[in-house]
Amino acid sequence: MNELDLYREATRIRALELLLHRYIEEHGFGGFWHPGLGQEGIQAGAVAALREDDYLFYAHRGLGYALAKGMSPVTLLADLFGRTGGSVGGKGGGTVHFVDPERGVLGQGGTVGSNFVLGAGAGISAQMLGTDRVVAIFFGDGAAARGTFHEAALTAAVWKLPLVWICENNGWAISVPIEAQSPTGNIADRAAAYGVPGVIVDGQDPVAVREATLAAVDRARAGEGPTLIEAKTLRVRGHYEGDKQSYREDLGEELEVPRDPLKIMREQGVPAAEADRLDGEAQAEAEAALAEVLAMPEPDPDVITEGVWA
Amino acid sequence: MGVRPAEGAGAATAAEAPALGYARAINQALGEEMRREERVWMLGQDVGRMGGVFGVTRGLFDEFGAGRVRDTSLNETFIVGAAVGAAMTGTIPVAELQFADFMMIAGDEVFHKMAKWRYMHGAKLSVPMVLRLPTGVLGGVGAEHSQSLEALGMHFPGLKVALPATPADAKGLLKTAIRDPNPVLFFEHKGMYRVKGPVPEDPEFLVPFGEAAVRRAGTSATVVATGLMVPRALAAAEALAAEGIELEVIDPRTLVPLDMETIVGSVEKTGRALVVHEAVRTAGAGAEIAARIQEAAFFALEAPVWRLGALDTSIPQSPDLEQLVIPDKAAIEAAVRELLTL
Repeated sequence: MNELDLYREATRIRALELLLHRYIEEHGFGGFWHPGLGQEGIQAGAVAALREDDYLFYAHRGLGYALAKGMSPVTLLADLFGRTGGSVGGKGGGTVHFVDPERGVLGQGGTVGSNFVLGAGAGISAQMLGTDRVVAIFFGDGAAARGTFHEAALTAAVWKLPLVWICENNGWAISVPIEAQSPTGNIADRAAAYGVPGVIVDGQDPVAVREATLAAVDRARAGEGPTLIEAKTLRVRGHYEGDKQSYREDLGEELEVPRDPLKIMREQGVPAAEADRLDGEAQAEAEAALAEVLAMPEPDPDVITEGVWA
Repeated sequence: MGVRPAEGAGAATAAEAPALGYARAINQALGEEMRREERVWMLGQDVGRMGGVFGVTRGLFDEFGAGRVRDTSLNETFIVGAAVGAAMTGTIPVAELQFADFMMIAGDEVFHKMAKWRYMHGAKLSVPMVLRLPTGVLGGVGAEHSQSLEALGMHFPGLKVALPATPADAKGLLKTAIRDPNPVLFFEHKGMYRVKGPVPEDPEFLVPFGEAAVRRAGTSATVVATGLMVPRALAAAEALAAEGIELEVIDPRTLVPLDMETIVGSVEKTGRALVVHEAVRTAGAGAEIAARIQEAAFFALEAPVWRLGALDTSIPQSPDLEQLVIPDKAAIEAAVRELLTL
C-alpha cells in the first residue's frame, strides 16, 4: 500500500472517530464507546501490511482495524448502533463485535485479552490447512497483563505459528499508568522470554508501523513464527467516551492529538492538496454512513434467540 | 492411587458387537473420525507421545503425527481457546483437558468463547469442536480432580453436553459430537475407562444426541441416571426385582439436548421418578430434570420427584471416604423403597 492510500485509511478512521465524538456529545449513546482518537496510525499502518485473506482479531479501541481491513463504515456503524444493517444482525451495540469472514475479520471477545488464545488457534488452522494466512492480533498495554498472552505466546512460539501481536501501548490501562503496571518500560521486552522478536515502533508514524508489521508478516508467512510489535502511542480521550479522566494530569485540549499521525504523514511528503482532498472525502463518507445507519430499523426481537445453535 | 475395580460391565444391552473397553471405544472413535476427515485434529496435555494420562489417545500420535495430535504445555486457556480459534477457521479440533475440573481454569474460553462466539458474531462463524473432559471420582484423586460439573454446561446456552455411560455410547456419542457443527462438552467418566461392553465396529455407527436410552424397562418407578450412576441404578434395579419392584432406568446420554419426551413418557407410566447423579445434589442436572418432570407430568405423579446426588461437600482425598460422598447401589435401593411408600 502506497503512502497516499495509507493516509486515506488513517483519515477515514479519524473522520469516524471525530464524528462519533460529536454525535455522542450531542445525543448520548446507549452503550460504551472506547475511542481510538490518536491511534489511527497504528490501525491503518498495521492493517496495510496484511493481505485481504489474512486474519484479524481487533481490539476494542475504535473501528479503525476493521475499516482498514475493508469493512464498510455503514456496516461498522450499524453494529455500533445495534441496527439491522450491521454484520452481527442487530446484536451489536456499544463495545462492538463485528465480523467479516470473507475479509478474515474474526471478531472480538468482550473479555479483554481473550483474543490471544483464539488468534493462536486461527494460526494453527492456517498452518494445518497450508493457506499461508497470517493472523494479526491487536491488544493494549492493559491486555498484555493477561495470562492468556503468556499461555498463547509460549506454545505459539514453540509451534512457530504465523502470528503478529500488535500492542497499542497508549500508556494507560483504564486509570493505571504503564509505570504502575509493568516492571519494565516496554511490553516488547517480554518477547525475549518466548524467543521471538520484540519490536518497538513509533505508533504515531503510520509508515513506520506498516514497515515493522510487513517484516513481521513476512516472517510469519515464511513459517518462522510470531513477532511482538509494540507501537508506542497515546490516549487522547478517556477509556470510554464519558470517562472524565480525573486520574490524569497530562491532558491537553479535548480533541488535540499530540504527534498527530495525519500531520506526520503530511510532513513526510503526502501533498497537502491530496491530503486535504482525502480528508474531505473521509468526512463525507463518515457523515453519509452515519445518516444511512440512523435511518435503519431497529432489529426485530426475534433476533434475540437466533444464532445460538449452528 | 486406589483405583477401584471397573463398574458397569454388562450395562449395555447384549449385542453381537465385540467387547471393547470404554477408553478403547473413545480411542476408536477418535481414530475413525481422524481417518474420515483430515480437518479433525487433537490437542491437549500429554495426548501425543504419552497417549494421554489415562491412555485414551494411545497410538494416535504414531498414526497421525505431531501435526494432528498436538502435545501442549500446561496451559488450559490455550488448549480451549486455540481450539475455538481453529474451529472458526476451518478445522475440527478435539481438545482434551486432563480433568473436567480444569474447565474452571479455562472458564472464559469454555463458557464464553466456545458457547457464545457464534451468537455474538451474528452466526457468521461456527465453533465445531469437542472438549473431552474426564469426569467423576476415580479413587483418591481429591477435591479438584473428581468433580462432576456437567450441569455447568447446561447453564450456558450454546454448549451441547454428552455424558456416555457405556463403551458403545462413548464411541457413538463422540463420533456424533465430532460431526456436530456446535461445540460439545464431552464428559467421559474416568472411573469407567476400563468397563467393557459391546461396541459396533461400523465406522458409521453414531449415537444421536437428544435420544435417551431406556436401559431397563419397568413399571414401578422411573430412575433417571447419568454416567457412573447408570450401572449403579441397574444393579439396584436387579436387587429390587427380587422383591417384585420393577424399575425403569433411563439414561439421557446427552443433557443438552435433553430427551424429556422419553423421561416424561416413562413417568406417565410409572407415576414415580427418582433422578440420580454423581454431581453435587444442589443445583445439579437432577434439579432441572425434576423441575421439568413436574412441569410436564404433574398430574401423573403419585409422589414428589426425588433426587439423589453427591453430598453438598467437596470430594475428600481418601478413596474410602470419597465413595461415601456419592450415591451407591444401596442408597438408590433405599431411596426407591421409600419413594414407593409415598
